[in-house]
Amino acid sequence: MIGQVLGHCRVVSKIGEGGMGAVYRAHDEVLHRDVALKVVSKSTGLQSSASQDLLREARASSGLAHPNICTIYEVGETNGELYIVMELVEGKSLRAMIGDIGLPAESALRYGVQIASALVRAHDRGIVHRDLKSANIVVSAEGLVKVLDFGLAKRIENEVLEGSTRSLQSLQDKSTISGTLPYMAPEVLLGESADFRSDLWALGVVLYEAASGHLPFKGNTAFEVSSAILRELPKPLGPPVPPGLWAIIQRCLAKELTQRYQRAGEVQAALEAVQSNVIFTADTATDRGVPRTTAFHGVRHLQVKRGDCLLLVGTLKGAFLLRSNAQRKRWEVGGPYFHGQVVYAFVYDGRAGQHRMWVSTQSHWGTFLRSSDDFGKTWTNPPEAPIRFPADTGLSLKNIWQISLGRPEEPDILYCGVEPAALFESRDSGESWSLVRGLFDHPHRPRWVPGNGGLALHTIVLDPTECRRMYVAISAGGVYRTDDGGATWAAQNHGIRVMFMPCKYPEFGQCVHKIAMHPSRPERLFLQNHFGLYCSVDHGENWTDVANGVPSDFGFPMVIHPHDPDCVYIVPVESDEFRCTCDGRLRVYRTRNAGASWEPLSRGLPQKGAYETVLRDAMTADPLDPAGIYLGTRSGQIFGSTDDGKNWQKILDGLPPVVCIRTAVIQDASSSSPQTPREDSRSTSSRTKSSVTSKPARRKG
Amino acid sequence: MALTFHIPGPLREFTGGRSKVEIEDSPSTVAEALSALYAIYPGVRDRIATEQGHIREHINIFVGDEDVRYTGGLVSRVPAGVEISIVPAVSGG
Repeated sequence: MIGQVLGHCRVVSKIGEGGMGAVYRAHDEVLHRDVALKVVSKSTGLQSSASQDLLREARASSGLAHPNICTIYEVGETNGELYIVMELVEGKSLRAMIGDIGLPAESALRYGVQIASALVRAHDRGIVHRDLKSANIVVSAEGLVKVLDFGLAKRIENEVLEGSTRSLQSLQDKSTISGTLPYMAPEVLLGESADFRSDLWALGVVLYEAASGHLPFKGNTAFEVSSAILRELPKPLGPPVPPGLWAIIQRCLAKELTQRYQRAGEVQAALEAVQSNVIFTADTATDRGVPRTTAFHGVRHLQVKRGDCLLLVGTLKGAFLLRSNAQRKRWEVGGPYFHGQVVYAFVYDGRAGQHRMWVSTQSHWGTFLRSSDDFGKTWTNPPEAPIRFPADTGLSLKNIWQISLGRPEEPDILYCGVEPAALFESRDSGESWSLVRGLFDHPHRPRWVPGNGGLALHTIVLDPTECRRMYVAISAGGVYRTDDGGATWAAQNHGIRVMFMPCKYPEFGQCVHKIAMHPSRPERLFLQNHFGLYCSVDHGENWTDVANGVPSDFGFPMVIHPHDPDCVYIVPVESDEFRCTCDGRLRVYRTRNAGASWEPLSRGLPQKGAYETVLRDAMTADPLDPAGIYLGTRSGQIFGSTDDGKNWQKILDGLPPVVCIRTAVIQDASSSSPQTPREDSRSTSSRTKSSVTSKPARRKG
Repeated sequence: MALTFHIPGPLREFTGGRSKVEIEDSPSTVAEALSALYAIYPGVRDRIATEQGHIREHINIFVGDEDVRYTGGLVSRVPAGVEISIVPAVSGG
């Protein structure tokens, strides 16, 4: 072969031998450049039709101009031999660089980003690699990655493999293991044609290999390897592999196509996110013994940084995450997470230095409590439902209405309020949960009746100064308080009117919609009832009507200003039957004197034909200064104000019906910026006059 | 004779990606067949049934073409070699 001329290339020397045939260094006599020349061996058994396919595909691939793709210059056939002229890439194969112990995570990420970038270009042009593997990737001395053989090798090897897999006998023969079998996606093994996502599977295998030094799916025979690919989960990669990288690998290696990344660009973005200064905690769900899922088709993820303000939005069709910096002028939208599932509760837990989000999801398949430590990129999906009624109760969990964090000094404690009405408690950071029997066994419980939304314990309020005191609100059961850490509970409904019962002031049975307390005034609670606005100044013992000047005392949400204990926000709606904002105007009402008077806030909110409903958990505040007040509507709009409600801006619309919004400010202990959360929640509002000209949120993708 | 479970997409995360699962034993009832499935893939149990062991309201189990809700529920007989489908209810809105 040496000295021969193929096309206008003279063969200079042999570089190596691959599955397809020999590779030579050659010199292009016309363009005067050194090239690589691949001559496809006749022994591959390539049929003439396949040969034409290969030629066609190689020609298509030759149009791929990308710094991380080895360029194909020319393809041709001479004397029955197929040859491919390509860019001469000098460097080491990634396979050789990986060795037995893998690469440092930083290198694995750097190369991974480049490989993903190459796939982005190829996939954009409709070209599937079909045989991505570490041996097909060359890294130059400068660290530049080149992916070889786009759209070439697999067609040939499939022909060979098909011939060798017709009998089980040959599959069990070690000699028939294809060099690329360990990179094959399950669907390809099952006979489906490879598509872009099969390349992303292979990328996951390469990343796993790069990070650990070994393949994720192994076996002594082709049968064993195939079996592992189809059925087994790869052995988890712990430190020093960053949890973020491991999460990406897992999602690439999702056996179900729809659960895998759908586009190479998503993998590239995720790898870049891990590379950049994104917060990832070391404690992954896998470490916690809980499997993760990566089952989100077409989900947009956010890069969250310290100092960011997040809105956690639960809707009837999934969860969304909105991110802004402390200025809160522009918002990016992440999600949707949990497509089509009802998300009634979604909270952020930043206690003890963690960055964990908790969410409740409800679907035909049940209600589950799930968490994410990487801002939604991956979520736990526990095999066994963590919150479950004990057998002796005879009850089954319908929904989780509220997820509530324990006090800051009790970072392992969490509570959930559920339907049917009950309280669950975890004392080990959500690992295990138990029914709070003191409340469940209360003699009133059998006489609680469901409200319109079901019989739910939807609100949990902790007294920050008395560690054994807490309040819960139940529709329709009323308010209950414990002073002994949950062992015993007493109804606290004196003075709260029940419109729909013959006895207007019963001991219990009130349909309470929301209660709220400011941490600086733990003796005082505000309450939005099913008709009636109330305040108690004696820990809920007695309630006084404070519906002074509101257009309707019916409503759902109630939020206290984070820096002003006398400032409370509500959204009145018109009557029990209609349940829409009065007069078709979306108005928030605010008191700044603990209910002595209320004033409408409407600037920036729709005031014509706006028959809106804001549900009980769809209003919230952030702890920044000035505070942000947010509300979401059943019509899928989110509004926000950063001047105490004087001016509102639409942050986003077009969402499914919003059922809950919570905020998170990602703490930066070193920052002394005025936008950091206020330390002293006892101080009164700064009453800033600043007006924010917020822009609607950007939807990426 | 083995029977086969057809696993819907949302549950395949818990069956190692498999859309079909064969049970080698010869269970005589739907309950026994499900128990055999749960033994292999525990994660599907709480998706199919409540913590009290009842099939979830909007999940249908078909033995062949028959919805077991109308053939005796969990104690419905399971013929040898039959195919059992786990099907979420159609819903709107």
